[in-house]
Amino acid sequence: MTDKNEPETLSRKELEERQNAHPFAVPFLWLGNQKVIDNFIWLPVLGMIAMIALGIVFPQAKPAPWDAIPGSWALIGFVAYSFIVLCAKPLTALLSRDETYYGEGGLPDPEYSTEHSSGDHHD
Amino acid sequence: MIDIFQINPGLWMILAGLICALVPKGDTFALVRKVFIIGAPIFAGVMITQIYTSQEVLAGQITIGGLELTTLRIDNLSMVWGYLFCLIAVINGIYGFHEKCRITDSSALIYAGAAIAGVFSGDLLTLFLFWELTAISSVFLIWKGGKRAYAAGIRYLALHVLSGVLLLAGAIFYAHSNGGDYSFNAIGTDTLGGWLILFAIGIKCGFPFLHMWMQDAYPKASITGTVILSAFTTKMAIYALARGYVGVDILIYIGAIMTCFPVFFALIENDLRRVLAFSLNNQLGFMVCGIGIGTELALNGVVGQVFVHVIFKSLLFMSIGAVMYRVGTAKASELGGLFRSMPITAVFCLIGAGSIAAFPLLAAFVTKAMIISAVIYEAAYNPGLYVIAAMLLFASAGVMEHSGIKVPYFTFFSHDSGRRVKEAPWNMLVAMGLAALLCIVLAFPWGGYQILYSLMPYEPNYQPYTVDHVVFQLQLLFAAISAFCVLKKFKLYPAEKRGEILDFDWTYRKLGLGIMQWIGAMWTRLSVQTKRLRERAIESAGRRLFQVFSPAGAMSESAPSGLAAVLTAAMLIIVLIFVYFIR
Repeated sequence: MTDKNEPETLSRKELEERQNAHPFAVPFLWLGNQKVIDNFIWLPVLGMIAMIALGIVFPQAKPAPWDAIPGSWALIGFVAYSFIVLCAKPLTALLSRDETYYGEGGLPDPEYSTEHSSGDHHD
Repeated sequence: MIDIFQINPGLWMILAGLICALVPKGDTFALVRKVFIIGAPIFAGVMITQIYTSQEVLAGQITIGGLELTTLRIDNLSMVWGYLFCLIAVINGIYGFHEKCRITDSSALIYAGAAIAGVFSGDLLTLFLFWELTAISSVFLIWKGGKRAYAAGIRYLALHVLSGVLLLAGAIFYAHSNGGDYSFNAIGTDTLGGWLILFAIGIKCGFPFLHMWMQDAYPKASITGTVILSAFTTKMAIYALARGYVGVDILIYIGAIMTCFPVFFALIENDLRRVLAFSLNNQLGFMVCGIGIGTELALNGVVGQVFVHVIFKSLLFMSIGAVMYRVGTAKASELGGLFRSMPITAVFCLIGAGSIAAFPLLAAFVTKAMIISAVIYEAAYNPGLYVIAAMLLFASAGVMEHSGIKVPYFTFFSHDSGRRVKEAPWNMLVAMGLAALLCIVLAFPWGGYQILYSLMPYEPNYQPYTVDHVVFQLQLLFAAISAFCVLKKFKLYPAEKRGEILDFDWTYRKLGLGIMQWIGAMWTRLSVQTKRLRERAIESAGRRLFQVFSPAGAMSESAPSGLAAVLTAAMLIIVLIFVYFIR
């Protein structure tokens, strides 16, 4: 049985989602919409472009050498972020081991945890 | 009669912690402990207000074994840490209100009290005492994390006790080279003692390659324990650096490395509490770098950064702790979509994430900019520092990655894990709400950041809300978010996977084992080679001893008393010369 206040156009899945969600979260369930997720990129990109334009109008009061390039901080932010993330693959291959590598089993929190991990000891 | 204003305020909290340890178990008594855990830091804060009068206060002098110790020194530097520790102890107390654990309550109070007493120490020996007490009291918070936390707790304790021993050794050497003066002021690296103390602080502060204890122990502690641990130990170490090592160049480079290397580890780590521990390391780097720069602007930035960092880092640990409390895990691979169930926690986490990433109107926007600006200003005189400034900007993009995006995104958004849980308990929400409010208030342009400025050791004349600063900071942040979206869109962002990420301790273990095996092998070879030589030497010595001491030996022959007198006199002269030169 649906609530009187709920719009009739909602699908059963959406109604179920509303019922299971925290009341404060209901007005924000659109954040989980795939279209919203797909188009979210425009927000930071437009923000970045606007800030680059503003940066040309209002240059740094005490510039560093790289501030001679318009949008230098955006460039640093984009390149640095991408570099860090693209390092993930080689780093994972180098440093990642099985979760039980150290063999220090037990629960992360004995009172609340739903996890379990145990295994052989490695040095 | 004892003058209570001569007593280090931290001692009141330690006393409250000891009382808590004696309070019996049971719900009614748990409430009594909670009164102590929230009331004691408030009382300590009031005591600081009563003692500190805008001038340096030296009190609580005691003489032990001929050494005069100053157990209380409150000045414009230690006062900030004192207030901050009291404030965060209250917030932590509220956060852990639901937990009816006597060990957690008492050790949290003793730990926070020891940290407060440590920053108010006027001499290195008093500092050593509370330095060790923070280690001993805090390990119980780790052990409350359960079976898997035991070994991590032992490792934590071993490293921190080592840090204390180094501090004591350094203090003795330093005092020896300083006319027996143990007072805790500018130390520097001119003496062996100074280096030893710096090494001791480096362990507690998480210098590169000494940092592993943080990522090892913090994620394994109990939910409340991790929040408490994140606030005190490392910040006490930052205080010690700010007191003793201002303007020491090596700290600039150590700090810059500290800001950069954790971002790579945090990227591939799946346990979000460990991600936050790496993030903590990265933030400490900014502070260490600022202390190394040592200008008034840099030090103001460091003090402000410490203050806001404790708050927003606690907020992030609290929000992930709340998720762990409800969901049972803090692993990114198991989470996602939780904004549907825990929207209030999600908002608080986003405020913490925005604060650490230094978004305008949120906490670190003012303070981090002060440190980076201080480096850029100094680079005008020393162009090499532009490299350091670039490293700090790189690290700022890294902060955006691990704390600004990864933590809130994989917990509350990302793919829906399908978990539908209750919102965090009321006490956790109140604690997070207070911390979130402070994150906003302390960066508010109209009367907000000025509160932070009033705590800074030097007169601040830095204007954070200039158009260029806001615009360029937003350039960096928007660009980082854009990069995240692009990488996600093209499936270049790594999926969160369960796994154990090796840290630098692996190298120590491998290296240590290798060295021990090499020494063992060399010793065996040496033993074989020298066996005959040793046998000959022993045989020869035995023969000679027989010749001298046997009934037919030289010592048994009769000799004139004059010769004995000459020999005795010669021995005496040798002893006298020896004693004269070794004095």
